[in-house]
Amino acid sequence: MPAATPSRPRIELELHDVYKTFEMGGEPISALRGVDLQVIEGEFIAIMGPSGSGKSTLLHILGLVDSEYQGTYDLGGERVSGRSTDELAPIRNQEIGFVFQAFFLLPHLSILENAALPALYARDRAPDECLAEARTRLEQMGLGHRLDHKPHEISIGQRQRAAIARALINDPRVILADEPTGALDSKTSQEILEIFNDLHRQGATILMVTHDQEVAAAAERNVYVRDGQIHV
Amino acid sequence: MARYTSDWHRLLLRFAWDGLSGQRGRSALTMLGMAIGTASVVAVVSIGLVGRGYVVGLIEGVGANLVLAYGTGEGVNPEEVDFDDVEVIREQVDGISALAPVLSTSRTLSIGGQPWPVTVLGVTPDYADVRNIVVTEGRFVTAREDANADKVAVLSPELALRMFGGDPPPDATIRLFDLRFRVVGVVREGVQSASAVGSSEISDLTAIVPFSTLRNVAGLRFLDVLYMRAESPQAVAGVVAGVKRVLAARHRSLGSFRIESLQRYLSLARQVSDAITLVLIAIAGVSLVVGGIGIMNIMLVTVTERTRDIGIRLALGARRRDILTQFLLEAPILSLAGGLLGVLVGAGGPLYVGILYDVPVPVSPASVAVAFGVSLAVGIFFGLYPARKAANMNIVDSLVYE
Repeated sequence: MPAATPSRPRIELELHDVYKTFEMGGEPISALRGVDLQVIEGEFIAIMGPSGSGKSTLLHILGLVDSEYQGTYDLGGERVSGRSTDELAPIRNQEIGFVFQAFFLLPHLSILENAALPALYARDRAPDECLAEARTRLEQMGLGHRLDHKPHEISIGQRQRAAIARALINDPRVILADEPTGALDSKTSQEILEIFNDLHRQGATILMVTHDQEVAAAAERNVYVRDGQIHV
Repeated sequence: MARYTSDWHRLLLRFAWDGLSGQRGRSALTMLGMAIGTASVVAVVSIGLVGRGYVVGLIEGVGANLVLAYGTGEGVNPEEVDFDDVEVIREQVDGISALAPVLSTSRTLSIGGQPWPVTVLGVTPDYADVRNIVVTEGRFVTAREDANADKVAVLSPELALRMFGGDPPPDATIRLFDLRFRVVGVVREGVQSASAVGSSEISDLTAIVPFSTLRNVAGLRFLDVLYMRAESPQAVAGVVAGVKRVLAARHRSLGSFRIESLQRYLSLARQVSDAITLVLIAIAGVSLVVGGIGIMNIMLVTVTERTRDIGIRLALGARRRDILTQFLLEAPILSLAGGLLGVLVGAGGPLYVGILYDVPVPVSPASVAVAFGVSLAVGIFFGLYPARKAANMNIVDSLVYE
């Protein structure tokens, strides 16, 4: 029996020589200065670094919400740099799952509708199907009894779980989490982190910005951003 | 992708609705602005229509398609319409459906020991019809009574009241020209204030007797006035011309005659009330525009307040067009809801007043449609700028917006 050749690990996303400059008070400020980053399918990466190091900028570029930078960005083998944020809307919708520190649930929508939102904006399924899918995802997160509640009516741990359900609903290529435990107490943090660990075990590709050494320890690989550059 | 378009639009409508219900108080106040504007437009048109209807009714009440001819008594050797004129007009002028020559004189009548000046009119039975006379008690004079020169009289309500304290008893009589006239009825003019349009030959204290009776007993040779009813509004001008022709041929000149119709007053009244209504609509329209600016103002505040919300939606994959549509829906929802409320108030108010005072109040469907259309247009127009502002937000900036 011929030995199975190990398939080459797939590169999910790749940044090459990315520069980003802000104008602030007329002064140009370099946020990123030649960033190279490769993320392989199924990796769980913690992005660390002091405030103002450029890690938020990095996350925004990775999440396709910031399209004004120099350098190249390939997502799933597709060149996404040089396109406008509006052209990137469907890719952002399908390939990126965002989890924010402040959850960013829409206050006037129910938990169910919030979780369904990316599926609804995809417009490839009937709204009822999207809601059914969101229900399934929320039940998996243990929120089956909170579907019709508004975000302010549930605990912050539940809010973050709802936000994770929302990030997952379109089965994205990459999950981007911006200090997802930053607003949580240690017990709740632990629960949320466990969810990310489960996702990682199921093969999800995760990039997580964090200040927390403990959180970083759970990741396979840590990436340090300092002065707009990556230090491994 | 296009498969779920209608579902999708319903969803965007839902998002817009959620956005509005998030700020109920503010949405309601903004809506109120539109409601007032719309209500003013609808109500003003109704008021205009009522006014127009009132004035036109006043004129028509005097007698539709009425033509009248009389001597003014002015000038050197003034002439009057005489009995032969009537016969010639009857024979030679086309388009007349009824003729009502009127004789008039005045007498002093002693009522309760006091002398009162009373107008005595001599008329043919057609008079009642031509002049829209309303019989409130008994009946009008008949053709037979006119032919026989019977001594019968119908009274104005004021005269009946003064003489009999109300409706005359069945055997009531009135003494005129030293003769006893049997009172057969009480009549009034179809329009109480007909004299507002022109002078009326019917005064407060009037007794109406058959034409031939008055001619005989008073020895009158000229008409006070000759009323004619044209067959149709279109025939009026022809009748006026025909009467002028006859009178000009039979008299020295037309100088002391006046021949007129009410058409002129009618069209003048219509024009004036239409012009007033238009001016009022323009004024009411200003409040619609003010309401629209209110909407724009509120939408701008809303867009700023929901900067984060917009950023989140964009980050989750909403296209700018989706955001534009969502916000573009909010303003017309406000303006249409306001418009609906305004139409209810603007139409309901006048209708209610109409029922309260038992006056027919017309509500113009056109004004309702226009008010609705204008509120929609105002909503879209004034919603466009804030919606574009929302759709063109920088995602990163709006995500970090506090």
